[in-house]
Amino acid sequence: MSATLAIARAQVAVTLRERITLFWFLVFPLFLLALMTLIFSNVGEDGGDMTFEITLVNLDRPSPGSADFSAGIVEALRHLGEARAGGEDPLFALHVPGEGVEPHAYLDEELAALRVGTRAAVVVIPQGFSENAARAAFSSRETVSSKLSIHTSGGRTSSDLAASILDQVFATVDREILTRLGLFDASRSVVLARREIGTQGREFRYVDFLLPGVVLMGFLTAGLFSVPGTILFGREQRILRTYWVTPLDVPRYFAGFALGHAALCALQFGCVSLLGRFAFGARVDLLQPVPLLYLVLAAATSLAIGFLIAAVARTGNAGMAIANIINMPMMFLGGLFFPIGELPPALRAAMLVNPVTYLADGLRASTGAEAGVLPPIATVAVPLAWIALCLGVAVFRLRLDEKR
Amino acid sequence: MTELRALLAAELRVFARDKASLTLTFLFPLLFILIFGSLMGGMGSAEGRRLGLVVAGEDAETLRSVVAQIGQLETTEYVAPADLDAAVTARDVDFGLVWDGRTLTTVVDVRRFEENSAYEEIARGIASRFNLAIQGREPLVDVEKIVEGSGANANWLTRVLPGILAFSVLSAGLFAVAGHITSMKQRRLLDRLVVTPMHPANLVAAVVVSRLGVVFASTLITLAAASLVFRVELHVHWVRYVASVVAATVGSMGLGTAIALVVRQPSSAGSLANVLSMTMMFVSGIYFPVEIMPAFLRAISAAMPLRYMADALRYATGVMDMSPARFWATNAVLLGLGVALLPVLSRYLVRAERR
Repeated sequence: MSATLAIARAQVAVTLRERITLFWFLVFPLFLLALMTLIFSNVGEDGGDMTFEITLVNLDRPSPGSADFSAGIVEALRHLGEARAGGEDPLFALHVPGEGVEPHAYLDEELAALRVGTRAAVVVIPQGFSENAARAAFSSRETVSSKLSIHTSGGRTSSDLAASILDQVFATVDREILTRLGLFDASRSVVLARREIGTQGREFRYVDFLLPGVVLMGFLTAGLFSVPGTILFGREQRILRTYWVTPLDVPRYFAGFALGHAALCALQFGCVSLLGRFAFGARVDLLQPVPLLYLVLAAATSLAIGFLIAAVARTGNAGMAIANIINMPMMFLGGLFFPIGELPPALRAAMLVNPVTYLADGLRASTGAEAGVLPPIATVAVPLAWIALCLGVAVFRLRLDEKR
Repeated sequence: MTELRALLAAELRVFARDKASLTLTFLFPLLFILIFGSLMGGMGSAEGRRLGLVVAGEDAETLRSVVAQIGQLETTEYVAPADLDAAVTARDVDFGLVWDGRTLTTVVDVRRFEENSAYEEIARGIASRFNLAIQGREPLVDVEKIVEGSGANANWLTRVLPGILAFSVLSAGLFAVAGHITSMKQRRLLDRLVVTPMHPANLVAAVVVSRLGVVFASTLITLAAASLVFRVELHVHWVRYVASVVAATVGSMGLGTAIALVVRQPSSAGSLANVLSMTMMFVSGIYFPVEIMPAFLRAISAAMPLRYMADALRYATGVMDMSPARFWATNAVLLGLGVALLPVLSRYLVRAERR
């Protein structure tokens, strides 16, 4: 027992003493959780707290006495150019041609500014807009139409976001015009609603999705890098050989290693959970029996994969290269940070053999944060199969090493 | 010259033997493109989106006809809302619409938060047309979208690719100094070199030239892979491309030098470079647009050299327009940083007290 504990203690000490290992093992998961939560805190809110530089060129000059439909659009955009509730900066910084400025020349200048990113979008209301809209309302669409142009800058997200907001503004233009002309029956208007699924009835927050993913990422990183690193460099420096001439046998060596790995995972889990809960208000509860079982399964799976790498790699550097190569596909194809949508067949196959996919789905579903996509039995059986496979190969290789 | 050639050959041999560096430089950009290209390649476009529809009551046929007019959507009809929910959950469809004769409900899976804004935009378009159609009206106003500039056809992957290249360049330059050279110092290899007739400037020159060769090879392989596998069409302006890659590599080595100078232990330089490069990767708009970040992260992003490197490469590859003055100023600043700090690196090589 004391030998097992000594191996465990050594594993923890080696990890905590090495700066690079410590960075990837402890600092990076905390850093990633903080950064991703901050980055995606605005997702779903069009524009978030941004102010978009928008130009409006209104070339419509309705004749006196006729309806001026462009004025409604101008007013709506001006409204978005005013400070938001709570004193926040306006959504749009609206640019319009000044008094006496030739509008076509101004438009050319603004389009040039748009191309180099100084403007997010340029809206052009063409000459005759109101007249055409009124004519279209009373005749068939085949003969008359009224155009409105949104110019955006290719390759720029700010431009896409601005265009999306403008789309929402312009989606109501037809209705406004028809209402003013008395041609729209408001009582028959479609009621719009939105329904969310996939959360088991709770409000969805990105940090609650991310936190289990970051915990699993931490376990995976510890298993892929720390375990083979310690074993392979230990083998290269002939530390393992010195173990095998002592009464220590392979099962007790594995047990000590597993204990050390579990202690490190527990430390990592504690730090990530505390940051998520107290800094970012995560409400996902991982300290329930079923989520804890999934965490134990995840720690065991990562440990087993680490042993497998240590068994198949000849040198420490080769082990680190293998770990580097498989780490990223396992993380991203496991849905740790983003949900996985449609994939081509080859990547879908990779996703389906990836134990992280099952662990992430099972862990998230067990907390009640979201509904699971995979069959619950698979979320346990596939990681267990991986553990059996990895440990089988690793024990076989280590026994060979012992015999040499 | 013989000295420089020998050092250059040695640098390239050392790099070729270092499996971790080879993986990071050549394999990582390819893996990023393969994984992210497949995961997010179609993001933001309505083409091929799968809509689940449940229609009941009055005007059901009108809604079907409006959906058919929108086009580019694969539509599947379900009998009951529960069936639609199951289909959205199982990802048989991307999102759903339920019409009960009075209310049009958009059904989204909240776990697909990165795609839902695109689905909701499509749903808004359908709702807007349907609202007119049930009153026997057609849209009066055509909202025409005109994309200006060279990046008119840029999709998600086309926009991300120059960022991936920029990150490769940054990593290669940064770790050439705050990793490779600091490790040589840590292992006292430099002590052996400085007692030979080697001039420190030649070692710096060998590292710069070898890294430039590696960076050009890596970025061109990545470009070729993206073009062959994902049919990414880039209009590369080669003079601008070469200028950007050279300036970014030398500038990154300057940054690496600054890191090596501020840390007490050479071994810590690699750790600090790791933290810095990771921070830059996340906040410089490489994978996630800067525009979706909160204001204070956007302010941090504006101070990150990687953001400007990525923008310069977007311009050089025809993904985005920028003013030529801004492009050349960006490259001049990056090159200036490297040129100003690399002589300091020469002195660092022979300075014994900072071991």
